[in-house]
Amino acid sequence: MQALFVVLVVTLLVSWAVRLTGDPSLMLAQGAGSVTEQDLANIRAHLGLNRPFSEQYIGFVNGLLHGDFGKSFIGATPVVILIRDALPATLSLTCCALLLSLILSIPLGIQAAVNKGGWSDQLIRIFSLIGLSFPNFWLAIMLVLLFAIVIPVFPPSGLDGPLSIVLPTVTMGIILTATNVRLVRTSMLETLSAQYIMVARSKGLRESVVLYKHALRNCAIPLITFIGLQFGSLIGGIVVVEKVFNWPGMGTLAFDAIAARDYPVLQATVTVLALLIVTVNFLVDIAYGFVDPRVRTR
Amino acid sequence: MTCKNKFVNTPTKTESSVDMPVKRGRRAPLELVLGLGLTAVLFSLVAISGWLFPDEGMGMDLSARLLAPFHSWRHVLGTDPLGRDVLARVLVGGQVSLLVGFTSVIGASVLGVIVGVIAGYYRGYWETFLMRCADVQLALPFILIAITFISILGGGLFNIIFFMIISQWVQYARLVRGLTLTLREREFVLAVKAIGLGDLLIIWRHLLPHVKSPIIVLMTLNIANNILLESSLTFLGLGVDPMIPSWGGMLADGRNYLQSAWWVSVFPGLAIMLCVLGLNLLGDWLRDKSDPTTEH
Amino acid sequence: MYQIKNFVAATLIALGLAVTPAGYAAGTLSIAASAGDPGSWDPIDTFLVTWGGVGSQIYDGLTMRTADMKLVPGLATSWEMLDNDTRIRFKLRQNVKFHNGEPFYAQAVKFTFDRLLGSEGAKGPQQSNYNAIKEVKVIDPYTVDFILSRPDPVLLTKLAGYGAMLVPPKYVTEKGDEYFNSHPVGTGPFKFVDYKPKVSLTLERNGDYWDGAPKLDGIVYRFIAEPATQVAELQAGRLDIATAIPLSMLDVIAKDPKLTTASINGPTTLALRFNTKEGITKDPSVRRALTMAVDRDTIIKQMLGGNAEAVASFQGKLSFGYDPALKPLPYDPAEAKKLLKAAGIKPGATVQIDFRGTDTNFREVAQAISGYLQAVGVKATLKPYETSVLLNDIIPNGKTGEMWQNQWGGWTFDYDNTAYAMYHSGQKWNPYDKDAALDKMLDAQRDTYDQKARERILREVAKYVADQSLEMPLYSLNTVYGINKRVQNLTLPADGRFRFVSESIQ
Repeated sequence: MQALFVVLVVTLLVSWAVRLTGDPSLMLAQGAGSVTEQDLANIRAHLGLNRPFSEQYIGFVNGLLHGDFGKSFIGATPVVILIRDALPATLSLTCCALLLSLILSIPLGIQAAVNKGGWSDQLIRIFSLIGLSFPNFWLAIMLVLLFAIVIPVFPPSGLDGPLSIVLPTVTMGIILTATNVRLVRTSMLETLSAQYIMVARSKGLRESVVLYKHALRNCAIPLITFIGLQFGSLIGGIVVVEKVFNWPGMGTLAFDAIAARDYPVLQATVTVLALLIVTVNFLVDIAYGFVDPRVRTR
Repeated sequence: MTCKNKFVNTPTKTESSVDMPVKRGRRAPLELVLGLGLTAVLFSLVAISGWLFPDEGMGMDLSARLLAPFHSWRHVLGTDPLGRDVLARVLVGGQVSLLVGFTSVIGASVLGVIVGVIAGYYRGYWETFLMRCADVQLALPFILIAITFISILGGGLFNIIFFMIISQWVQYARLVRGLTLTLREREFVLAVKAIGLGDLLIIWRHLLPHVKSPIIVLMTLNIANNILLESSLTFLGLGVDPMIPSWGGMLADGRNYLQSAWWVSVFPGLAIMLCVLGLNLLGDWLRDKSDPTTEH
Repeated sequence: MYQIKNFVAATLIALGLAVTPAGYAAGTLSIAASAGDPGSWDPIDTFLVTWGGVGSQIYDGLTMRTADMKLVPGLATSWEMLDNDTRIRFKLRQNVKFHNGEPFYAQAVKFTFDRLLGSEGAKGPQQSNYNAIKEVKVIDPYTVDFILSRPDPVLLTKLAGYGAMLVPPKYVTEKGDEYFNSHPVGTGPFKFVDYKPKVSLTLERNGDYWDGAPKLDGIVYRFIAEPATQVAELQAGRLDIATAIPLSMLDVIAKDPKLTTASINGPTTLALRFNTKEGITKDPSVRRALTMAVDRDTIIKQMLGGNAEAVASFQGKLSFGYDPALKPLPYDPAEAKKLLKAAGIKPGATVQIDFRGTDTNFREVAQAISGYLQAVGVKATLKPYETSVLLNDIIPNGKTGEMWQNQWGGWTFDYDNTAYAMYHSGQKWNPYDKDAALDKMLDAQRDTYDQKARERILREVAKYVADQSLEMPLYSLNTVYGINKRVQNLTLPADGRFRFVSESIQ
């Protein structure tokens, strides 16, 4: 499938690019007093870095297909274990943030659309714009300051216990909600002016039924489409949030791997993330093509 | 992260909007006024900042570190950890931030539009190839590309703008391709083609004007996002020269002073917020104006 | 499939549904490890500073270092130099057990060092530190001989930590290296309990410790890289000792009634190393001028809050080889301008300073330095780099600007370790200089055990470097800790390698 091809190209690109950035053996030899060329060569040989790139890459892909992601350059921890621990952390955070944004943005968006031009509409729109105007790390730090230090309710970092997911979720959730509210509002406005809504209203159906049963169903599709598309950039932005909250997820894993030139971890992490994004995009593309046949690609 | 990258054209209901013109008029001007007002004021302040503050906010004075704001006329907004005037740095810092925002977006949109039009108009191999490139690009979490890219080439203004361009052209390309696909089958295009008008001319005079509006909306929103992105990159340690004031840099550098000298990061944060707010309001108004339900 | 089950379990745990929140037991100390997760707790694998602090809890070396950097017996009760200093005979401590019950005797020493110097050790960075050891011979169950291939005056110090810490032969052979990496066993005051990669390492007290059981019930090391997050955790009362705090937050910590700070002399030294091959820094008098243009004392006082000390060479006060008579160049911008003019440098000349982008403390210092240079007419641009790029690519390959941030934390507190790596030709940290006279001096002091002679030579090295102005020495940075007052009896070692034997929690 072409999705897999995309993933392959992604991993190839990343594997190649990261090898341009300097020799990890030097990095790994930092504890030594004075490093000789022989020491570095030893380390490189041990890590398999003295093989030609094609061989390293094929070895990596081969390993992937057998479920073996190799071992981290730092301490030889099997990468599978690292990912097994990190992926649920990131996914749980992402899903919670998405959920929070849905719970908030749908009612707010509807309210704004129904009340168009009124004060609640203005208020909601202003707040959503403000929510979009914060750099995510700043929002994170402010939230930690307010709700973990000044009013010590939540833990300022780490992943232990259900309370600790609150602040990171709120951080990402606020920004997501701000985006989604506007989308819901726009879709609702579109839908509400459609003929069949007039029909439903003239039939005497209660307003809430009109809203939730008919109108919402119609804008659910573009909303889901949009959220699916957001997933990619969501994963991207998670690195910063994970860093501030010391959240042991894929973002931290990847960032540390780049910093340490830990090729196996980096390659595996990017592969997994790419697979995730590609899968979501693929599902979204199907839904999208479903919705608007003019834009179908095949 | 705050990329609202996919400007999805919700399915059009052209019949209904013809019958039912939506009440616009009264609300729009407030948005326009506020948006235009904010951006205009900010931009002009930033523009004259070089004249207002000849030392460009770089005048260091270690004996005047971290002075509180609103206590003297010399340092209305206080000083930062190196004794530099915060007001000066906020205004001058706008130059870098706005420069980054604008150039990166202009670059990305030009590139993206070209690619999108080619893909949408000519289809065939071009489309497949270019869209696959786009897919690959989208599958990479962009912050990771940023880190890898910048660690190869180092930080600095040019590199950051370059990186933003090559990672954001995709949004425009996808959008334009979608629109082009739709448009090329429309009657007027077929008619003009039948007449025998050259491709380039068709694209230029008949297709591009239609993609103009959504593109401009996307651009306005992305300028805001890129300003935020610059600050995130600085937070991660990959930004521009720290001597040169930039909103993002000040925010990132000031984060450790939130509890002791809040003004160091709050004022640049406010600047970012107002600028982004203004741009978003503007973008909103533009989007409302160019709503696909009212397109000709 | 097994993997899927694990995955689901991990997700549940991640959502905190299957595990209780981390409530630290009353007698457990939680401390932040800032330099990252070493990934492996095997002494020969590691290069990270973090490991040093943790390693001293789990393992012992033949020798040990007290908090004030004095060398004392560890698992070796005494030693003597034989055969013209080519052989060291160690008498070993009796009645010591590893955490798994395995007894400690000479065979363990031989096993440890054979492993370190053999193929297993070749995979890691520690081996090159101990190359002077040719062979380890067991004389009797409590006596070993180290046969040396060349003199190594710092060896005894190096035996106190890192690669030379002693591991249990039977356990390692039985369980294999990979298992040992994540389930370490040693003879130290604390036993391994649990390791969550990149999250935490939990240790508990070893009641049978040969030097007396520690008072604490246990220790938890938490891997928190972001300094601001460490401070946040400290303030929230969830962390007892923060090891990497931004100096700008010291006041905030001091104001908090339950917290206190401690600032002690540390091994970390900072300097701006000059590019002697390109740019205006080619000229030694220009380098002198640039150094004199910067008011290092004000930087230390104002920006670092006095948590550092001025230095004249790339080492701190506690380093062996430190010469109190060598004074740093004075702050004299007028003289600097004169020198620059004499060297033909026009105002507006540019230099580029490369530095580690993630170092928030140095970011500010670098800007201050830039400001000072500006005052004498030299325009400095600052280029932030990702740390590993700077250390792996830019410096070794000679791609730097006119100056770069040079930071070194020699845990041995011996100038040899630093000077050799920094100034000897061919070393990765020295991409531009090739000075035969300097090389000779550096080699000479490695070859003799005569500490007096070594000290003399090392002081000459420092003076030579200063005369050539190969660098602008900045300061030796104190190690600053943020501490929760409930920790009692905390001894703060200068090298950051805590040994929590006497501490307790209120």
